[in-house]
Amino acid sequence: MLIRTGPKNRENFWLWFTKIAAGFLIIFLLGIHLIVNHLIVPGGLLSYRQVLAYYQIPFIPIMEVFFLIIVFTHSFIGVRSIILDLNPSKRVLSIVDVALVSVAFIFIVYGTWLVIVVYQLGRL
Amino acid sequence: MHNTPQSNKWPLWFDPRHRKMGSWAFILNRITAIGLTVYLCMHLIVLSKLAMGPEAYDSFIALAKKPAVIIGEMFVIAGAIIHGLNGIRITITSFGFGVRYQKPIFIGLMVIAGAAIFLFGYKIFSEL
Repeated sequence: MLIRTGPKNRENFWLWFTKIAAGFLIIFLLGIHLIVNHLIVPGGLLSYRQVLAYYQIPFIPIMEVFFLIIVFTHSFIGVRSIILDLNPSKRVLSIVDVALVSVAFIFIVYGTWLVIVVYQLGRL
Repeated sequence: MHNTPQSNKWPLWFDPRHRKMGSWAFILNRITAIGLTVYLCMHLIVLSKLAMGPEAYDSFIALAKKPAVIIGEMFVIAGAIIHGLNGIRITITSFGFGVRYQKPIFIGLMVIAGAAIFLFGYKIFSEL
């Protein structure tokens, strides 16, 4: 039997809603990402020069950073949902929350730095 | 109805017997979610090759074109398509739409997923 789903216990509405909204944005952005990186180019992968040229299209660096934030937000709220399946104690959940936010923040900062570096390398 | 697995009965999570379609849809969502999250982190770490220059990145791309890596990549694409389409079902039913028709919706979306995975696979492997 398939049942109606919604926010889990200890997952507030806005966290759940953010996960759902981010998921829909990812479908759109991942579609562009997969088409550019796997369908347009013969062989399916961009070379170094092609990546640098791709990032010179004005809106692409902004879109990629936006994609990065959205995808980490969705996936790490999702990981939290999976951990909630294990019924963690309040203390463990607090530690998990801090760990997930920290790791996601580090990846987003690192990814943004990488986008800036690639953009600047393409301008040389 | 309570739809959260019981943590104190975790060995039963791996018991494939007597499962209904909703349970398989849930398992599929969880497995693809974990796989995609691991891939996402690895993908971003590997892309640091871009900052190391053309030799580092292009040698990685040459490795990524090996059949074994492409098979792995097909699992990621399949996971993304299944997770995305299953996620659409979860979202629309969460807002109260099509709750009574979840089973045909799930079957229909998985058929679409199968077709999309086949097309991606055909495109990628035909260029090897």
